Amino acid sequence: MSKGKFKNSKFVEKYSIFIVLLAMFILCAVMNENFLSVNNLTNVARQLSVGTIIAYGEMLLVIAGLIDLSVGSVLALSGVLSIACYQSTGSLVLALVLAVVIGVLCNLVNAVLVTHFDVPAFIATLAMQTMARGAALLYTKGQNLLQLKDFTIFGQGSVGPIPMPIIFMVVITIITWYIMNHTRYGRSLYAIGGNEGAAIASGINVKKNKYITYIINGVFAGIAGVLFMSRVNAGLPNGAVGYEMEGLTATIVGGTSFSGGVGTTMGTLAGAFIIGFLNNIMNLTGVDSYVQQIVKGAIIAFAVVLDIRSKNKKTRKVILVADDTKKEEAK
Amino acid sequence: MKKKVISVLLCAAMVATMAIGCSKSDSGSSDDKKDSGDKKDSYKVAYIARAQSDSFAAWLANELKAEFENYDDMTLEVFDGEANDEKENTMIENAISSGFDGIIIQANNGEAQLPYIQQVVDAGIPCITTNPRVECEGTGSIDADPYEQAKVNCDLAIDQIPENAKVVVLLGPAGNFHSTERRNAWEKEFFEKRPDVEILAEDIANWNKDEAMALMEDWVQAYGDIDAVVSMNDNMAAGAIEVVKDNDKFKDMLAYGVDGTAEACLLIKEGKMTSTGLQSAIDLAKMNAEAIHSVLTGEKKITDINDNVPAPLITSDNVDEYIQMYKDNGQIKE
Amino acid sequence: MRVSGINKSFPGVKALDNIDFAVRKGTVHALCGENGAGKSTLMKIINGLYKPDSGQIFIDEKPVEIKNPIQAQSYGIAMIAQELNYVPEMSIEENLFLGRLPVNKLGKIDWKKVRKETVKFLEQEKLPYDPEQKLKTLTVSDIQMLEIIKAISNNADIVIMDEPTSAITNREVEVLFEKIAELKSRGVSIIYISHKMEEVFRIADDITVLRDGTVVETHPASDIDLDTVIALMVGRKMENVYPKEEVPVGDPILEIKDLESRGVFKDINFYAKKGEIVGFAGLMGAGRTETMRAIFGLDPYDGGEIKVHGKPVHIKKVRDSINNKVVMLSEDRRRYGIVPIRSVMENASISSLDKFIYGGRSHPREEKKLVGEYFDKMNVKTPSLETAIQALSGGNQQKVLLAKWMLRDPDVLILDEPTRGIDVGAKFEIYRLMTELVKEGKTVIMVSSELPELIGMCDRIYVMNKGMITGCLNRDEFSQETIMRFATGTEKAEV
Repeated sequence: MSKGKFKNSKFVEKYSIFIVLLAMFILCAVMNENFLSVNNLTNVARQLSVGTIIAYGEMLLVIAGLIDLSVGSVLALSGVLSIACYQSTGSLVLALVLAVVIGVLCNLVNAVLVTHFDVPAFIATLAMQTMARGAALLYTKGQNLLQLKDFTIFGQGSVGPIPMPIIFMVVITIITWYIMNHTRYGRSLYAIGGNEGAAIASGINVKKNKYITYIINGVFAGIAGVLFMSRVNAGLPNGAVGYEMEGLTATIVGGTSFSGGVGTTMGTLAGAFIIGFLNNIMNLTGVDSYVQQIVKGAIIAFAVVLDIRSKNKKTRKVILVADDTKKEEAK
Repeated sequence: MKKKVISVLLCAAMVATMAIGCSKSDSGSSDDKKDSGDKKDSYKVAYIARAQSDSFAAWLANELKAEFENYDDMTLEVFDGEANDEKENTMIENAISSGFDGIIIQANNGEAQLPYIQQVVDAGIPCITTNPRVECEGTGSIDADPYEQAKVNCDLAIDQIPENAKVVVLLGPAGNFHSTERRNAWEKEFFEKRPDVEILAEDIANWNKDEAMALMEDWVQAYGDIDAVVSMNDNMAAGAIEVVKDNDKFKDMLAYGVDGTAEACLLIKEGKMTSTGLQSAIDLAKMNAEAIHSVLTGEKKITDINDNVPAPLITSDNVDEYIQMYKDNGQIKE
Repeated sequence: MRVSGINKSFPGVKALDNIDFAVRKGTVHALCGENGAGKSTLMKIINGLYKPDSGQIFIDEKPVEIKNPIQAQSYGIAMIAQELNYVPEMSIEENLFLGRLPVNKLGKIDWKKVRKETVKFLEQEKLPYDPEQKLKTLTVSDIQMLEIIKAISNNADIVIMDEPTSAITNREVEVLFEKIAELKSRGVSIIYISHKMEEVFRIADDITVLRDGTVVETHPASDIDLDTVIALMVGRKMENVYPKEEVPVGDPILEIKDLESRGVFKDINFYAKKGEIVGFAGLMGAGRTETMRAIFGLDPYDGGEIKVHGKPVHIKKVRDSINNKVVMLSEDRRRYGIVPIRSVMENASISSLDKFIYGGRSHPREEKKLVGEYFDKMNVKTPSLETAIQALSGGNQQKVLLAKWMLRDPDVLILDEPTRGIDVGAKFEIYRLMTELVKEGKTVIMVSSELPELIGMCDRIYVMNKGMITGCLNRDEFSQETIMRFATGTEKAEV
């Protein structure tokens, strides 16, 4: 086997998701002249911001072998309460802080159930999904909160030419990337999801790290709640239903393994953009909405199959190379 | 902490409802034996709501509760069908066996609830179907006519929308009765009469503001000029307006909705939205309460109850009175 | 049965090169070789899982083509795989007849027949189980026995056994060997693959050594000795299987007093000195692993004292133990050792992240350099530092895990079954590393079920039985018989 060819295919495997993203970008640009306009690309990024922030939380959890099905409801609860806080205090900072606090509290409950009572994350967060949604509806009596005034600055304002949600998304992307690459916590997360037993036997405080993961997820959920409500200029207690699935889809399409231990920040970002571009181009070209659903499902399945295949190939090739080196040494 | 308090309260509420439910069923069955059809001091009415999480359904439930406060001889209990046929049917069965004197049903899906509504009739309990009406022998009904709600907008739009205009259409969930009926009205009362108008795009936004926003953002990019937004409810119309509200190019864009929500009234007041057909939960609640009361006290027969609430058109001309209505019930703050 | 001129290539590597190999009727033919030598590939070809590129299989001198395992069965070939194939949630009878349930004319399963035959087999093999019992409730060794029964129940003429003793106790090994003798007397041929040389020499009639996809030599077992076989396998002469060196012994580093965990172990008293290799012998379930896990902080203990460097320490979690420079390599590499999908480098550095992530950022270059140095020292063979650890052989995985702990510069290394499931060459390297470690002044505690390696490597051996230490032997007292007497509880000494 030629070394060059091997390196090439390794490159393809490692960056397969980005190649898909690039191919998609080019295809979209060819398909519709409006796609490449600055306005449209800004639009896509703005539409993606909430979903991407959620996706980072889900990514951390899935890497650690956990999950959060409550994020859509928690987002709604923290968003609604944040608006109420703003309307009664007039302080944007306080409103943002309250949203984060609510997000963190909900996720602390998740973490307690998961780490101390050994409730499967799937079930624990499903319970929280119902509770948080109920609380949001209870507080608002099921009615939309209106007259947000300056609260809309988070979702509709901009700094110079850059919309605020995009700034939030970029900052959180950088924070997530930093956490995953430059903290002991991030590195431990891969070990916890990859093999919890081995992580414990390596001296990693698994419980503490699970707590941290849910807390970070809560912070992200709170911020996402503020952005979401602010963007739509209303406090929707029944908004963002099923957003956990959007977040999970971006994460999984971006190469995070559902079995834990694998996933990258940039992959998740790419996953989010693949879905974002897909939605955007289908709306731009006027694809029928039923057809859109079929295409979206197919593309998700395709992306994941591609990813799994390239990963399987990776382990197999490596074994053979190991044999090669052994042989060479024997000679 | 707040979260925890709320969850505890929720749990307590759950336990309490269960306890009440149980005791009700006991006393209910004994009631049945004692008096069948005789006049009573106090009538118990059950309202089975489609979903407490749907903002209109929640509003209607709230208004019904408030309306029943005005009657000394009637009490109301509200049950949540959670937008789920299975749940809603169970709630109906429970209400029958709990011995309520009258049952008001807001069906989630008329077809699915029909056999259970029939059970109510068979049990000899007066039954009103409301929002939507379910056709069933032996029941009464109070509804808002979705066709009519959209039609009042069409009548206005037919003169307002300029020649060769380009419009976009926002739909509710696929297969939803109200969305389909409202869309039918637009087809018959507007698009068929105005063949010059071009539909640029038509898509489902599931009654949601955020989904409508995303669609509108993409449409603005794809089509540039949009003369009017035709939306099957106000939430989605508000979402579309949210996208272009600061864009001078869309200053003259027309936007039509249905429901007459507080948000729509505010937008009409600001001149961002054109009109909406009111589906008034207050009127619905009032008529339902009156109707069931008249049946329970023997003034009317259940089968004589068959009414529609009016569907007044809200425009900038009359919006103030509706804003006042919302101020009164607290949805709009001063 | 005989195979001739078998060739098999995978993309990029020649797995088998012109293999000639014959099994005589009614004999045990042992197949030896390091991991990757081609044993499994050859067996998979015989069992019809792989198709050879060229070459021919003969049965009773008739050329046959075996396309799949079902066809192999029809030729009387049965294989007991190393990784047992069973469905834990299914009953014994369902597993026994998995994939070949008898049916009547209408296609209905004949459960009566299944039950009758299962009961017959269970009685024959003296296994006290109910046919309806789920397999997950059985011990691994009994499941192994069932697999063997399953193979024989097909009336096989040739039985392939791949590492059949890797998961069963010594007593059960004896039962297995009786079974093999019985099969032999019925004229069944057995191909026996094992890394345990003692077993091979006990039961094999012929020994074939494979190396790098070629047959090195075939000999009657009586004509060849252990050292020769090992030399043939690794391709070089090994001076000594156990590279034990005398090292000056210092002060006690680890002292354990009256350690107890209710219902698991009690009255555990021992010490290990600087420069010592201390062995722990005992039967499976004697409490050795449990004791070591408690000392390492993986399990809680109820009473007793742990002293490191003479100072009492309280171990609540693994971190406490690591901070006291006591580390442990688990017996169960899959569960408590490797993170399979992550790279070898990450697996090595996971316990030393403080060394590579400090000052608010990570330092990958330093990490690569240091991990690389340790890999060189441990002679880890890996294509790159980014390779997933699951792609490495067991021996190399074990060396990566050793490197992980060496990065923490420990004083005491507890090695629980460090050579289980790895090939002879890698075993030798682990032994050599242990010697290196004690020469550097570290202390090694080795838990092992293989008495020869304990006797070969240790300075002292503690023997455990039923959660208690029953004996302590110095090097001049070592013998398999003595250890077994303590281990089985027939003799008990004051420690």
